[in-house]
Amino acid sequence: MADRYTINLDGSDVAFADGETLYEIAERHRKEVPTLCYDPRLEAFGACRLCVVELEGARNPVASCTTLATPGMTVRTGTDKVERYRKTLLELVASENREIDVDPLAGHASQELKALVDRYEARTGRFQGRQSGASREDDANPFILRDYDLCISCNRCVRVCAEREGDYAISVKGRGFDTQITTEFSGPLEDSDCTFCGQCVHTCPTGALADRKALRHADVPGEIEKTRTICPYCGVGCSVDIMTKDDRIVGVQPAMDGPANLGALCVKGQFAYDFVQHEERLKTPLVRGDDGVLRPASWDDALDRAAEGFRRVERKHGPAAIFGVASGRAPHEAAYAMQKLMRAGWGLNHIDNCSRA
Amino acid sequence: MLHAFHERDGFVSEEAIGVVSQALCIPVADLYGTVTFYHHFAQHPPGRAVPRVCDGPVCRLFGSEAILGALRREGATPMPCSGRCDDCIPVLYGDRTLVGRSSATLEARPSPLPPPNPGGVTECVFGGIREPGRASFDGYRRTGGYAGLTSALRYGVPQDVVTVITDSGLAGRGGAGFPTGRKWQAVAEAPGEPKTIVCNADEGEPGCFKDRALLDHDPHAVIEGMIAAAYATGAARGFIYLRYEYPETMEILERAIREAEDADLLGENARGPGQPFHLLVRRGAGAYICGEETSLLNSLEGKHPFPRNRPPYPVTHGYEDLPTVVNNVETLASVGPILANGAEWYRGLGLLDHAGTKVISLSGDIARPGNYEVPLGLPLPTLLDDWAGGPGEGRTIQAVTMAGLSGGFLGPNELDVTLDEPGLRARGSFLGAGGVIVFDDTRDMVEVARQAMSFFAHESCGKCFPCRIGTTRLTERLAGDGGPSELAAWTEEITDIGDVMKSTSACGLGMAAPLITESLLRNFGDQVARHVDGGRE
Repeated sequence: MADRYTINLDGSDVAFADGETLYEIAERHRKEVPTLCYDPRLEAFGACRLCVVELEGARNPVASCTTLATPGMTVRTGTDKVERYRKTLLELVASENREIDVDPLAGHASQELKALVDRYEARTGRFQGRQSGASREDDANPFILRDYDLCISCNRCVRVCAEREGDYAISVKGRGFDTQITTEFSGPLEDSDCTFCGQCVHTCPTGALADRKALRHADVPGEIEKTRTICPYCGVGCSVDIMTKDDRIVGVQPAMDGPANLGALCVKGQFAYDFVQHEERLKTPLVRGDDGVLRPASWDDALDRAAEGFRRVERKHGPAAIFGVASGRAPHEAAYAMQKLMRAGWGLNHIDNCSRA
Repeated sequence: MLHAFHERDGFVSEEAIGVVSQALCIPVADLYGTVTFYHHFAQHPPGRAVPRVCDGPVCRLFGSEAILGALRREGATPMPCSGRCDDCIPVLYGDRTLVGRSSATLEARPSPLPPPNPGGVTECVFGGIREPGRASFDGYRRTGGYAGLTSALRYGVPQDVVTVITDSGLAGRGGAGFPTGRKWQAVAEAPGEPKTIVCNADEGEPGCFKDRALLDHDPHAVIEGMIAAAYATGAARGFIYLRYEYPETMEILERAIREAEDADLLGENARGPGQPFHLLVRRGAGAYICGEETSLLNSLEGKHPFPRNRPPYPVTHGYEDLPTVVNNVETLASVGPILANGAEWYRGLGLLDHAGTKVISLSGDIARPGNYEVPLGLPLPTLLDDWAGGPGEGRTIQAVTMAGLSGGFLGPNELDVTLDEPGLRARGSFLGAGGVIVFDDTRDMVEVARQAMSFFAHESCGKCFPCRIGTTRLTERLAGDGGPSELAAWTEEITDIGDVMKSTSACGLGMAAPLITESLLRNFGDQVARHVDGGRE
């Protein structure tokens, strides 16, 4: 007899919590049920139908991602029948796209379709026909490549934009095979409510939405190495994986398990990393001469010059004219020193940090 | 709201979308995407005024392509079956429907009344529809209308109504066949207020035109059914979701609702003192999928009309996530007569152990097309030959469709069925909404199947993968446009796609569409072989 909160999963009685879906339970028991439209951070959508499982008493297999467990269910996750359906579905998906193999720099989830097509040996070339999706080569923004020839209409991008980012910048237009991911009035992202946070890129399972900036380095030889760190910009502390090839940064991906961000980033953390290796990056202090030209100087000279400037303002306008804003990119110790300078140096509380934004 | 701009301007402009978006707090991108989903929302002038010619499977038989060609100069575009298969070919000019077999003979005329059946077999929903003046409140009342409802309201309690409907065996006549009494009981018991009654009048299935006849000629019967449903379940609001293609019906319904409001049958005291029931008509915008009840609810709420994942079902989480009855027009029209004549009476109308009646919309290559209300269990040949006069002179019937197109074809050797769900399901088909299209022996069945599949591809909402890709791949193969050129491989692809669609699609559209190819292969293997081999021996 089944207990109140158990189901039979592939022959074993397993416990579940109220509100859990069959997919979540199967996932916990490492059943490796395939999915394409699923992202654990988003509401289940039920579109790709790859996660179908056999449920005793149901006429057809059910989508495990949208089916809540109820006590006493008997579920089989990998029967020959559902595995055959999964293969057919993947062959159909493969037939609608220009290509399956995309560079891993395209995005965090970009290898999902490729991995499943390989796992199910679905490169059979069956079901050839018209392809869906129309790439937006006209959208020249520097960050997000809209290569919809690779789109499978899983709606993960639309849902992450709405559910996680709250931007509602993208949506779905048309219907049937002509379904397209779009923006308001089909314009470029720049004219939409898009904030270029890149979440759509990193949930895309096919590389249809891709990190255009990272892909510039697709041809650089060498393996991609990922280094987990914290975004240096603001105070939220988003976890990121810095991607390098041969010790050069080629891109940034959000950490899906980052406790502060769960895969989210903003445009700065996602795309604004060029300064690290930029040739114009400052390596010594610069001091402006009387002719107005900046010239390299020693730290002593530069600090003297800064102190002189503060003193001049203080003499002329009083200490209340001084206000300090610490850089969000400076480390904690520097931020501490900055507020100390304001408070102990002039007795002011005129101190802020740009991370407040 | 979008309809208001569409009617005023003739198209939905970007400015209109912007204004509606702001007023209703719907993101612009979402609203834009939703507008593009519907076939009939024009986004550019001249838009709405441009003639739209039905190119459904029946009108194709009788010259819709010629009309389309003749009206091309006016910018005419095709539209899917618009439910006038008993009086072809409808052309929609804005809010006017003209009909005729050629562009020269187009004229406005009311939709046909159902032809009487030859044996004087007792009818339920068509019992009073041919009475003169029936569409008006007075005419309806004079001929026995509202009697069942009035006595139920006066002498009973809501549960009595549920009990009568349950005992009558009435089941959903839109196709799903869910017992109506059980649905009402579930909504009556479900927590959450206000509850809603929705009449599904989005009759989009090709070859189905029964709802148009019922609403045009007996609108109060549907309203009576809705009030009874509201009384039985405690619902305070109701909607009739009417397909875009029935503009005249919209006017008829709005007038009938005003009449019922004037008679205090609708409004603040509809269900008794202080117990309101308000009824509104909402117009679709051209999307077959909105006949699927959860898509309909999303559409009604102004959301993108994808089907919802179930459970939860509309009886607990329907309109605005509150308990909702969604019933078909015919189901609701049956309620008044059942209340007036009793559960036993209705049960007894069916043959053998089948309860009640079903309207069959019969069209195509048949002498007397029209809506026939048949006792469930009636042999199909009786309907085709005795009631409707059989095929044309010297012709034989090659195939009939079931459930409009959704039930696929019955071939020449499969016509000895009875019209009821168990009988038809045993043959791999189903009765559904009751559309039966007849094709005689002159028709190319592969081409008929291609048209049918291209309809499903056009109407697929695009959400679930098997339907979105499968309907297109099947259409391409039926059109000879892609796919293997060797019969065994061709058949294997068709069968594999069909299997995955039937078993894994998210809603009925994707599950039903492959019945077309399945029944084509079953019955017309020779025509398929000619199509695939293309004369190559």
